[in-house]
Amino acid sequence: MLSPSDIKLLAFAQTLELTTRDIYAAAVSRRSLSDDESALLEQFHAHHVAYQQALNGLLSKNATNKRDDAIYASFSAKLSEAQNIWIALLEIENIMIASHTKAIETIESAKAAALVASIITVEARHAAILASQTTTNISTALDNNTSALVAS
Amino acid sequence: MSTFTRRELLRLSGVTLASGLVLAACGKQAGVVDDNAITILGQSPVTTPLTDAEVTDAVLLRTAASLEYNAIETYATALDLGVFTGDLRKVAEIAKRFSADHSEHADAVNSLAVKLGAKEYRCGNTRISESYILPALKLITADDNPNQAMDTVALAHAVENLAAQTYQGVVALLTDPMLRADAIRIGQQEARHAAILAQILNPGLKNIGPTSDAKTGKPNIAAVPSAFGSLANIQLSIGKPKPDGTRTTLILETPSLNSLVYDFVACKA
Repeated sequence: MLSPSDIKLLAFAQTLELTTRDIYAAAVSRRSLSDDESALLEQFHAHHVAYQQALNGLLSKNATNKRDDAIYASFSAKLSEAQNIWIALLEIENIMIASHTKAIETIESAKAAALVASIITVEARHAAILASQTTTNISTALDNNTSALVAS
Repeated sequence: MSTFTRRELLRLSGVTLASGLVLAACGKQAGVVDDNAITILGQSPVTTPLTDAEVTDAVLLRTAASLEYNAIETYATALDLGVFTGDLRKVAEIAKRFSADHSEHADAVNSLAVKLGAKEYRCGNTRISESYILPALKLITADDNPNQAMDTVALAHAVENLAAQTYQGVVALLTDPMLRADAIRIGQQEARHAAILAQILNPGLKNIGPTSDAKTGKPNIAAVPSAFGSLANIQLSIGKPKPDGTRTTLILETPSLNSLVYDFVACKA
């Protein structure tokens, strides 16, 4: 049984994952991508679908089905330029990692924290791969300078 | 009126007296020194009770620190081998950066352990080293191994996965939510290390997700092998190829009860 505080934190995490799912869907629809690039982004998109579904299962009737439209609009604008796709996706993955990690600081349920942790480690892999598509600078792949988004 | 007859009373008192004598013979007599004259069969060694081994937050953090030193030692050995030449020169630079990250991580988790009142732990996990890393290095450095450089990268990749899994795994075990966040903050960077090394071992966009070897059917190394972070064992295939093309596979597992760095564990001199 989740506490009211955990429900709020996990529902916000689900909102972020729904938003990221839709950002990837928008990115995949770009014609500028090669087949291999599209396949990769479809795979990452599928992962975010799985994350929001897992959180949905944990939250049950307390689940949310709404993305954050403001964040989505902001990233849709960034995706309009073909050369920005990888950087924009790297940024949203890093924001996910920072936000989920911030949530774990206060999530009471160890089981829920473990689920979020299992999402974070793969989003970190996404970020490393996305960074490697834009630069050979290893620090871009390893360092996360984004700020966490927190539930209001 | 009593129902006992005189004969029954005499018999009853006799039984009571005999029982008392037997019990007195079994008990220790006051003032009598035990001369160990009673013989025993076999030896009865002195037993030493086991030290209490409680899995606390501090123990989990010290264990994480030990894995950081395993990684640091692995990269130091890898660089000492001098195998990163030619096209793999960039790997040496990556190894140096990753090693520096592990030093920072070790300082961070040791600092957290000290805050909990525990001693810091500044050496590799002996069991991880003896069970996995040293046997792997023996296979890698064998004279007849034609893949020393890439096998060294494969070992580093396995160690990074081990570290990432360990941090992910302890999130469910740590009692303090702040420590869980600290753990995964480090763990996510280990996962990034692993993804980068996977792309060196099996490059290309097509190989980022899960694929399998056409000949053996075994899973290939992948930067993003699954949707959720796995806690399953890690397979490391290295060494001289056998006639059928397969190679020795070592199975690595995250530290368990027999390899945690408990409060009483100290670095070996």
